This record gives sequence, structure tokens and C-alpha cells, in this order.
Amino acid sequence: MDVIAFQSVSKVFGHQRGLFKRAATDPSFALRDISLRVSSGSVLAVLGPNGSGKTTLLKLISTMLLPDQGRVLVHGSDTRRHAQQVRSQVGFAISGERSFFPRLTARENLEFFAALDNVGPKIRRGRIGTILARTSLLAMADIWVSNFSSGMYQKLAIARALMKPLSVLLLDEPTRSLDPVAASEIRTLVRELSAEGTTVVIASHNFEEVAAVADSVLVLRRGKIDAACGVSPITVEAMQSLYSQSTEAADIRDAACVLERVS
Amino acid sequence: MIGPGLADKAAAILRRDVFTAMRYRSASVLTIAGVAAELAAFYYLAKAIGPSFRPEGTDYFSFLVVGTGFYTFLVMGIHSFLHTVQEAQQGGTFEFLMTTPTAPSIVLCLSALSAFSRNAVQFVLYLGAGLLLLKEPLRPRELGASVMVFLLSVAIAVAIGMMAAALQVATQKGSVILWALGSGAWLLTGTLFPVADLPRWLRSTANLIPLTHALNAMRSALLEGSGRSKLLQEIGVLAAFCLVLLPLGLLSFSYSLRRARLQGTLSSY
Repeated sequence: MDVIAFQSVSKVFGHQRGLFKRAATDPSFALRDISLRVSSGSVLAVLGPNGSGKTTLLKLISTMLLPDQGRVLVHGSDTRRHAQQVRSQVGFAISGERSFFPRLTARENLEFFAALDNVGPKIRRGRIGTILARTSLLAMADIWVSNFSSGMYQKLAIARALMKPLSVLLLDEPTRSLDPVAASEIRTLVRELSAEGTTVVIASHNFEEVAAVADSVLVLRRGKIDAACGVSPITVEAMQSLYSQSTEAADIRDAACVLERVS
Repeated sequence: MIGPGLADKAAAILRRDVFTAMRYRSASVLTIAGVAAELAAFYYLAKAIGPSFRPEGTDYFSFLVVGTGFYTFLVMGIHSFLHTVQEAQQGGTFEFLMTTPTAPSIVLCLSALSAFSRNAVQFVLYLGAGLLLLKEPLRPRELGASVMVFLLSVAIAVAIGMMAAALQVATQKGSVILWALGSGAWLLTGTLFPVADLPRWLRSTANLIPLTHALNAMRSALLEGSGRSKLLQEIGVLAAFCLVLLPLGLLSFSYSLRRARLQGTLSSY
């Protein structure tokens, strides 16, 4: 069953007039005519150079952005028409240190966001403990997040995304600031979540990470799908070939993963 | 989700704000010091002007305390909507607050109402301190009516606040515009002197501002001087403003949010 579906989706930035601007800026396609489907419980990795549209793709699923053309569906719910339904099923961990209240502790931050995520007060406290333990943050639970390192912020972002009973988890470079041990823990967590039935979409530059967790890989270039691979196991070598020279399909076929050119 | 869920969310937001205020103690102390200085300034201003000046038939210090206290309460309430958005944009939490299963307008209103309750405490303390300085204690003439005026005025401030938040989402510079409008309103709404003392054309403009009627009504309810019919008339005007402004506020916020999601400016600041 498809949990996420993109139907001819395009996203353009700078095409609309600003409130006080005389003219619109030049439009640029962040995503162009994207169609894809992600099945339940699978892990899709999205690769691509900076500015290729990876984060835009995740934000469209999360409803942070709305498509200009086409439809994005999560469990059949259109992100434009049934945004609240989509939001109750999707957790998003974005990379970066902002997005928390600095003078609240990790536990207080999670409590706050969990309340807005409709996690009831009776189960909240227990769930926070479980999630903090699962993301190796239990020892830091009662420390202001302004004292956190980049890696801790990253883990806390994942913890926040996991607070609600979600079916889709979006991870934007989830191990970017993590040490090797912590990164390995996050990869294990992703596999566990996938085994539990959560569909995961990861935007990443890290081939090892993708090889460790992904069931399928998508390469974006200038907002278009450049290549896709849906066969496991996916190897680092295959992705290196795919990423650096995706037009030479023959090189890719030599690798363990059979890659299908789609554009 | 309405009902217990809403109360839980309101409590979560209130808890966040209380913890944050407690942990930024110096800011809270400076606010209290500023309010005390303002009150002292008005006390000596009224004393310098002398007892013969009785705007709308009431003691000038009472006129100032109720006018400035209530004006500040309402304007800070309006600003709190804008600040909620602005702080969330700058802190990076805005995108997340606007993509929880809780409707964005509810998140915004609960956040602003948390600030409103803080402002209400400040307003009550301000009035209380004013009472201590007054030789003749303030006697609310129409307690029920003053509560009604308070609630209608809060509803208007919520509506204007939603528009201010919409402006912040759309331009990321809403505070500049609101500051400019606020300065004009301070002059025109009769905070420091009666609107009747303004030139006729300015008086007409002043009457189009809902806060003018909020201050008139609150003074009528709390102070000696004006009649009951004037109070009822002002309550009617406030109710009419509510009916028009509340849907307008909600619509403008939803529209600007949708526009930001399309333009990709939700996280811009």
C-alpha cells in the first residue's frame, strides 16, 4: 500500500508578487513534475547536491509547503485539502539547532510540542521518557536546550518527531552533526521504526547512512528525479556512481544494486 | 480538538510562557520598573496640571490611570500576536508550530491569550497602584458593564492581533507597521486627553478606531462623570466592531499563512 504519493508535483519559488513588491522575482523550479510513491514501512533515501530539492520534497509532505502544481497525498489525504489529517500522521525532524525554546529543558520542550500534537497528558510523561531513552537523551532530559550541542539538538528533533503516533517520519540529514556512535544508534532506530511499520523518508548526503537504512533511493538534480533505485541491498559504490555520474547507467549496473534511470 | 484537549494545549502554552518568563528574570524586573516609572510620571503630571482640569467630569489622574492602563493592556495584547509569530520565526519554531495537528489559528490565539493574561495581571496591578496614589479611591460604578467592556475589548484586540500576525507572516516586518499605527492610535484614542479636544476632522478619524470606544466605555464604567446611556452606546459600538473584525482577523491570518506555504516564506524572518 502506498503511504506517500506525489502526482506530477511542481514547486516554484519567487513566482508570486510580494505584498509590497512591484514585480515578482524570477521564478525558479525547486521541484519539477515529480511523481513517486512510497510504500508502507519502507525507507526512501533522497540524495542530491545542495539545492536539488531534497528539503522541499520533505516540506511538501509535511505541509510546511504547498505544491504549485500536482498533488501530494499521505494515506490518500491531499496535503492541500486535508492538511490537519496529514499533520497528525507525519513527524518531521529537520536539521539545525533552531526550532526549540532555548530556556526550556528537553523534557519541557517535548511536553509542549506533544500537547500540540494531541498526545494526551496521561500518556505524555511516560512517552517522553521512552522516546528520550530511545534517542539516548534521557541523561540530558532536564537540561535547558540552550546548553545542547548540535548533535543533541539533532537527536531532540528526532525525539520530537516521534512523540506522536506517526506513520510517516521525515528526516532531513539526521546524522549530520552526530558522532559515529550516535549516528549508528539513529540508523538502528530508523530500521526499528521501519520494521514497526513506519514509513521513513531521509534526505541525506551520506552514502553509508543510505546504504545502511534505505530500501530505495531517489536522486534529485535541479528539482527533477535523476535516478531511482528500488532494489536492496543498496551499496555505497552504487550510490557513488549514481550520484557522480548518473548518466552512465552501465557503471551503475555493475554494482550490486540495479539502478533504473528515470529521466 | 475542542474541550479538554484545548485546555491541555492552553496549559502547555501557559507553562512554557511562565517558565520562560521566570528564566528571563531581568526582563520581568525591568518591565515592572518601567510601569512604576510611568505611573509616577502620570501622578506628578496630574499634580502639576492641578485639580481644576477634570476631563469628562473626572479627576485627571484617574482619567490617565484608566486610559493609559487599559490602552497599554489592549495594545500589548495586539502586539503579543505579532510577537508570537515574530519570536517563533526568529527562534525557528514557527514552521513546527504551524504544522502540528492543532489548527494554526488556535496555536496563535492560545499563545497570545497567554500573553494577554500576563498583561491583565499587569493592568490590575497598575490600577491597584493607581488606587494607592489616589486620595479618593476608584469606585467601579458599573461592575457588570466593565466586565462586558473588558471582554468585548479583548475580542477586538484578538481580531486586530490576528491581522497583525497576518501582516508579520506576509511581510516579516509587521512590527514596524504596527508601531507606526500604534503611535497614531495613542494620539487619537484619547489616552492622555479627551477626544473631544481634538479638531473635528481628527475626532471623526478617532471614532473609527475601536480602541477609542474601548477607552470611552471603560472610563464610563469605572469613573464618575459620564452617563449610563453613553456607556450602553459604546458597548453597542464595541459589539459591532467585534462582529466585523473577528471574522476578518481569522480570514486574513489563514490567507497569509496559505500564501506563505505557497511562497515558501513560512520560515523567513
